Order: sequence, then C-alpha cells, then structure tokens
Amino acid sequence: MTKENHGDHEHHNHLRESETYYAARTKALESLFREKGLIGIDTVDRVIRFFEHDMGPFNGAKVVAKAWSDPAFKARLMADANAGIAELGLKDGIEGENLRVVENTATVHNVVCCTLCSCWPWPLLGLPPYWFKDPVFRARIVREPRAVLLDFGVTLPKEKKIEIWDSSAQVRYFVIPERPAGTENWSEEQLAKLVSTEAMQGLDLVKA
Amino acid sequence: MKVQHFLGGIENLGPVNVEKRVFVEPWEAQLFAVHTAMMGTNIWAWPDLRVLAEGMNPLDYFKYRYYIKWLGGICKFLIDKGYISEKELQERTEAFLKDPDAPLPATGNPEITQRVVDYFYRGANPYRDIVVNPMFKAGQKVRVKDMPPVVHTRLPGYLRNKIGVVDVVYKGAYLYADNVPTDGLATPQPVYLVKFDTRDIWSDIPDSKDVLYNDFWEVYLEAA
Repeated sequence: MTKENHGDHEHHNHLRESETYYAARTKALESLFREKGLIGIDTVDRVIRFFEHDMGPFNGAKVVAKAWSDPAFKARLMADANAGIAELGLKDGIEGENLRVVENTATVHNVVCCTLCSCWPWPLLGLPPYWFKDPVFRARIVREPRAVLLDFGVTLPKEKKIEIWDSSAQVRYFVIPERPAGTENWSEEQLAKLVSTEAMQGLDLVKA
Repeated sequence: MKVQHFLGGIENLGPVNVEKRVFVEPWEAQLFAVHTAMMGTNIWAWPDLRVLAEGMNPLDYFKYRYYIKWLGGICKFLIDKGYISEKELQERTEAFLKDPDAPLPATGNPEITQRVVDYFYRGANPYRDIVVNPMFKAGQKVRVKDMPPVVHTRLPGYLRNKIGVVDVVYKGAYLYADNVPTDGLATPQPVYLVKFDTRDIWSDIPDSKDVLYNDFWEVYLEAA
C-alpha cells in the first residue's frame, strides 16, 4: 500500500464516523425507502410531530397532577395504570401496553431503569432521552443509585429507602414524584408544569 | 458471554452523561422515523434490533452514541434481509455526501404514515390469554437461573444465581419472540415480578435497605 492510499483509507474511516456521513446515510435510507414504497412522503414529519404533540412527557405530567389532586384517582391509577390514564382521555399503545405506576413518599424513592436496553413508558413520556440509554447510567443505577442521583443533582436524605425497577419484560414503569410543599391550592395545569421527564422516572425531585 | 447482557453493576465507569434530549442531531429523528415505518409494517420488531445491539463488539457498544448504533444495525438488517443492497445504499450515501441538500424522491407509499400512527396506538402487547399453571406463587423464594450464553436474552446478568421473593404473579402468559434465538422465550409463559434486597445482589455495598425489582419470564427462575 502506498502512502497516498493509506491516507485515503484514514480519511475514509474518519469520514465514516462523522455526523455528515451519518446524515447522508440516513437520508439515503429514507430515499431508498421512498422509491421502494416502504415509507410515505410525509411519514418522517408525521412521526416527529407525533412525539412532539401526541405522545410525550406532557401526558405523564397531566397524570401526575391529577394523581396529586385526586386521591381516589391515584388509587385507581396505581391499581390499574392503563385504565387510569384512559379516564383522562389518554391512549396507551406501543411500549405501554402494560403500565405500572409507583409512588414516591416521605420514606420511599423509586427509580426506573432498563439495564438490558431502553424500555420506557412511551404513552406517558414519549421517547427516552439520552441519559436513560447511556450504558453508564444502566450499569451504575442498580448498584449505586445514590451516586447516580448525585450526577443528576439530586441528594436524597440518608434514611430514605430506594426502590429500583429494572424493566426486563412486559411492564413499563412510571413514577409519581412527591408533591412539593406550598402547592396546596394550585390547579392541575399549574402543577403539571412543574413535573420534569426525569422526575417521572425518579431522577429528579419536583420543586415549586 | 456478552458484556451487553451484564451491564448492571459494572464499576468505575465515571459520571453518567446527563443528556436530556431525545435526539442530538436532526438525522437521528429521521432515522427513528424510518425505524417506526419498519415497525409499523412488520419489517422488524424490537427483538431484531436488540439481537444486533447485543451482537456488537462490546467496546464499540460503549463507544458509539445510541442512534449511531441503530444506524449500523438498521443498515445491516435491511441488507441482510434483502430490502436494500449494500451497493445502492453506498451509492446513495455518496450522492448525499456530495450534495447534502439534494431533494428526496417525491414518491412514496401514502398508506404507510397512517399505518405507523395506528401501530403507535395499537402497540404490540405480548400478553396471551391462555390457561397457564404458574410454577411459583407470591411470597415464594426463587433463585435466578444462570442460563447458557445465547444470541439474545432478557435475563440481566447481575441477577443470575441471586435469590429473591416473588412479589407479583402476572395474570395469564406473555410471549417474547419466536423469530429470534433466545434462551427459552419462544413460548408464551407466566412472568413474575421478583423483589431483591440489593445487599443480596452485592454484599459489599452499604446497608441502605434498598430493594430492586425485576420482571422475569418463568424459564429464568427455579425454586430456592
């Protein structure tokens, strides 16, 4: 191999690991899919809009606000989460056919993970953010949850017990965070605005 | 063994990348949408993607960002199954590298978009309404089996050989997948929620009374 060829090879490998290359290859995929009738002209835009407007963390926040405001609803939700969200007019579906809701209290803090891949309750939270899929998060959360919570800026009182939920089969888990003090007279709309995606998997605390 | 089956409990990895975005580059959203078209039209399902992720070089698995791994997996799957050829994918990629703003073909299948949205709401419930006789009952101690290494598993490595207590016996049966090689998930079977004290998983961690729950297909458990 001449020095010049070696240079080309290096250049080629570098190119194959660039964002420009990934973008071109992805566009090539959609382009071939269109020609082969495997996708519609509007599919990509519709899917992106779907997760911006129809299936996203705003659904979960609505459920949390209702559960904080209505103890009877919360009891029904915790007994049967799919039926509970239907009461609010929310649809379940992919990655949420079997939902379970757990609740943070003064003594128990729940965290959710998927050590094998990235299982996540789509109907309530949309798509999983990068941290949830990070192999480092998945490796560490089960063994050292308090240290991982510190990475998220969360310090738990020592006496609080942590319950970790590893999603390895059909159930997708969702956390009702603790309601912050001083929000007694707030409307559900106001309460929902406080709730982050991370709080609904136990990686954030809700503050007013 | 595959490192991807044994992530839980690995030490000394440093801080978590607390990136709260779902997509960090526009192409990732486009790729995700292509993936949903494949899901909604039964070209593939989660187990196919997981088989590819678990078959990766483990160092690459840690090195590459989530959707970069997906891109590699999706291309490999589509080429292996004959949906596209490596040659046409490479040629088209080169064309978009030369002219990134070249338009996409103004053609497509107008039925696909609704099929994908319908699929989002229909889901793919693994529940099977069949009569089963669960081997274990709530409150019973169970030991997690150390299953032989396979292409694809839903048994987290860090729980193998550990003893926990059955918390919930789910109603009915669930089918994981019968189209990819697994360690016993090709038949519908009961699934159990099992509770562990984390100190029973790792004896060297502080005694914080923390507990861990994991869902297990029945084939992964035995009486303890």
